[in-house]
Amino acid sequence: MGSIEGVTNITVGVLALQGAFNEHVQLLRQAAKILSTKETVERTWSFTEVRTEPELRSCDALILPGGESTAISLVAQRSNMLEPLRDFVKVTRKPTWGTCAGLILLAESANRTKKGGQELIGGLDVRVNRNHFGRQIESFEADLNLPFLSDGDDLGSDKHRSPFRAIFIRAPIVEKLLPHVAGEQQGEASIGDTIVAPSRTIDESVARGINLGEVEIMGTLPGRAAALKTDENTGKLDAEAGDIIAVRQANVFGTSFHPELTGDPRIHVWWLEQVIEAVNLRRTS
Amino acid sequence: MATELPTNSTNGQGQGQSNGSSNTKDFTVKTGLARMLKGGVIMDVVNAEQARIAEEAGACAVMALERVPADIRAQGGVARMSDPKMIKEIMATVTIPVMAKARIGHFVECQILEAIGVDYIDESEVLTPADHAHHVEKHPFSVPFVCGCRNLGEALRRISEGAAMIRTKGEAGTGDVIEAVRHMRTVNAEIARASGMSDPELRILAKEIQAPFELLKETAKLGRLPVVNFAAGGVATPADAALMMQLGCDGVFVGSGIFKSGDASKRAKAIVQAVTHYNDPKVLAAVSEDLGEAMVGLNVSAMDAKDKMQGRGW
Repeated sequence: MGSIEGVTNITVGVLALQGAFNEHVQLLRQAAKILSTKETVERTWSFTEVRTEPELRSCDALILPGGESTAISLVAQRSNMLEPLRDFVKVTRKPTWGTCAGLILLAESANRTKKGGQELIGGLDVRVNRNHFGRQIESFEADLNLPFLSDGDDLGSDKHRSPFRAIFIRAPIVEKLLPHVAGEQQGEASIGDTIVAPSRTIDESVARGINLGEVEIMGTLPGRAAALKTDENTGKLDAEAGDIIAVRQANVFGTSFHPELTGDPRIHVWWLEQVIEAVNLRRTS
Repeated sequence: MATELPTNSTNGQGQGQSNGSSNTKDFTVKTGLARMLKGGVIMDVVNAEQARIAEEAGACAVMALERVPADIRAQGGVARMSDPKMIKEIMATVTIPVMAKARIGHFVECQILEAIGVDYIDESEVLTPADHAHHVEKHPFSVPFVCGCRNLGEALRRISEGAAMIRTKGEAGTGDVIEAVRHMRTVNAEIARASGMSDPELRILAKEIQAPFELLKETAKLGRLPVVNFAAGGVATPADAALMMQLGCDGVFVGSGIFKSGDASKRAKAIVQAVTHYNDPKVLAAVSEDLGEAMVGLNVSAMDAKDKMQGRGW
């Protein structure tokens, strides 16, 4: 160990309490295959379903899949997984990616939750608006231009630069970026019908290598009006503003859509590259 | 354990189908919600109060209906789509997806449910069928459909009509899991048999089971149904739910089993935990403890054929 080349075994978990977890495992396998053709290092990836604390402890990185965030949150609570998850994301700050319901759980603040709210894990200083677009009949697909997919990449093929076909199912959006504060987001907690995640202090040994900084916007949905099937609603929507549908802050990445439903592994490839970097840093420091 | 449902599958559209590409795209969104429900429990509820209990228990969706199957069975008469007012009250009360039932073949009830904005329609044998020969043409609707099946042919006919999700029929309102098991095992056995067949053999089988060839071929190749497949009809305990999961279901519907039992909230939570930890007998033992009275139930083997709901549907 010690050299970057030495880090060859990486375990990525997918939280399997409820939802489309198997789809992520499939895409991760595809992504690892693509990475193996790009990299000179031979890596051994393990992709595992995570339902218990010991399973979580074995992971270097984690995906929180789509599903029903209330169900996932309640099952996590009753399976004694909430605190281990908060440790994973906010104390040891290991790479974590949430899609749709996963994004909601990773937000420090959320609204339009069920009566009585729901438990959040937190990690991203954002407020998400649940079921932002409405019910299932408002679910849709849209082409996204995601700059991070083409940045600094040597593939450069047309396939690589083509828009990402994203699927939004009863999807949330990032409604607001919040400043990083010590402790929980108290300003948010004082807003009606908005819930916040409890604060956890980052582990000192990892704090040196991690800059929590500000939340980066990684993708927006511009002119969603164009994606709507009917013209009725277009008048109400600001085609220019764009909704924030992908964000990153330090170790935490969130998307409000479902890359795991498309069969297009580009985002999984990109994310695994981030995981490799983070794991290298952690194991060599 | 459920066999993987590939993310790049045609979702049961079959390569040879001429549904057009826009239809296929819509279908990805329809089947996408079904994928999000996987590993979860969908609970029958008759009012907003029950819907809240289900949501707090961790249900991934609720099925809004006026009478649970056990009461439909006991009271008799014609069972129809529920009052839209009651469905809307439930939709306004919970934030999880809300499904509702329409009668087999009653496409106007489906239009009404779509107009209300329900998240999924169950074209269900639990209600009295409205058409002696036809099921609803489900592709033209924006709202996705789930349908019941007893065997592979029935499942594939429903998918070819546009069902984006399948469930076993089981025998609703009995609390007896034997029929759900029978239907799941039948589908699994038929798929296993089809998987070993050549194209010419599959053509014969397609005729025998009255299923479209392309869909049958895709199913045989996948080794599972090309859409999400839940268990339904007779699940009453956490052990029943885990049994169906271990047989390969993607999730579980619980109808009368929860709100016809002694302690609905506790049982509902236990069944949710059982579906997540279906392979962990220690968790199953813990959640099965002290649940109070299960629904009394009806023994399916002692029932007359005319009293069974599963025979409805064509």
